[in-house]
Amino acid sequence: MARWWNRFQSGVYTRVHWINELYARATSGRSAEIPLPPLASPRQPLSRARVGMVTAAGLHLADQPAFDMDDPEGDASYRVIPGDVDVAALTITHDYYDHRAPDRDVNCVYPIERLRELVQVGELGAVAPRHVGMMGHLYGEQRTRLVREVADEVAGIFERDQVDLVLATPG
Amino acid sequence: MGLVARAVEARGIPTVTVSVVRNMIEALPAPRNVLITFRLGQVFGEPGHAAQQRTVLRASLAALEEITESGGMVELPYRWKREVYEDG
Repeated sequence: MARWWNRFQSGVYTRVHWINELYARATSGRSAEIPLPPLASPRQPLSRARVGMVTAAGLHLADQPAFDMDDPEGDASYRVIPGDVDVAALTITHDYYDHRAPDRDVNCVYPIERLRELVQVGELGAVAPRHVGMMGHLYGEQRTRLVREVADEVAGIFERDQVDLVLATPG
Repeated sequence: MGLVARAVEARGIPTVTVSVVRNMIEALPAPRNVLITFRLGQVFGEPGHAAQQRTVLRASLAALEEITESGGMVELPYRWKREVYEDG
């Protein structure tokens, strides 16, 4: 499907919220799953926790490869974003939601500067050294790839960095 | 993001997943879900509105302690611009 058509549609459903709700209901429960695990106990109080983020907003460094917008099943790959990144180095590639707001201020979907402020005032322990940018909107083979490989690879990054809490955000 | 959150939580790392679509949470709940009725692309608030973004971020992180059952959800009460966002 042409990218202009995807962008046009995303402009509409970003504004008309009930379309998202209908869409979620229509597409639910029809593909591979990762079982819902029991809750892991908090490892630290927030004031000592190292916090990481994973976002489906299509976020990546401008000098990393963009997400593939030509595959109608999406792109299950991920990009590692350094915790100390200058937000000016970030960009968004995602045709399936209207990202003009986070193009102006990435904190709308990826509140990295807000996290840093909470660390500074002692409400959080630390910002994780590595975060992860992905895109949602995955179907078919790409969704299967996420379920079979990519989700666990991403989890491994946070485990190796001894992250205490992961905040997952949509686009 | 629910699937990735499940994989992370399965490794013993607590997660909080923010969403703007209730049906998405109900269809594929993450371990801890935060629902906020803001637009996609402005989940934490408006561009340049640090106090609003910080408020939503703080409330989301608080779900770490507030949700006690896997698949549970907290719904944030914020009404976009019809709210005074102050920093505590």
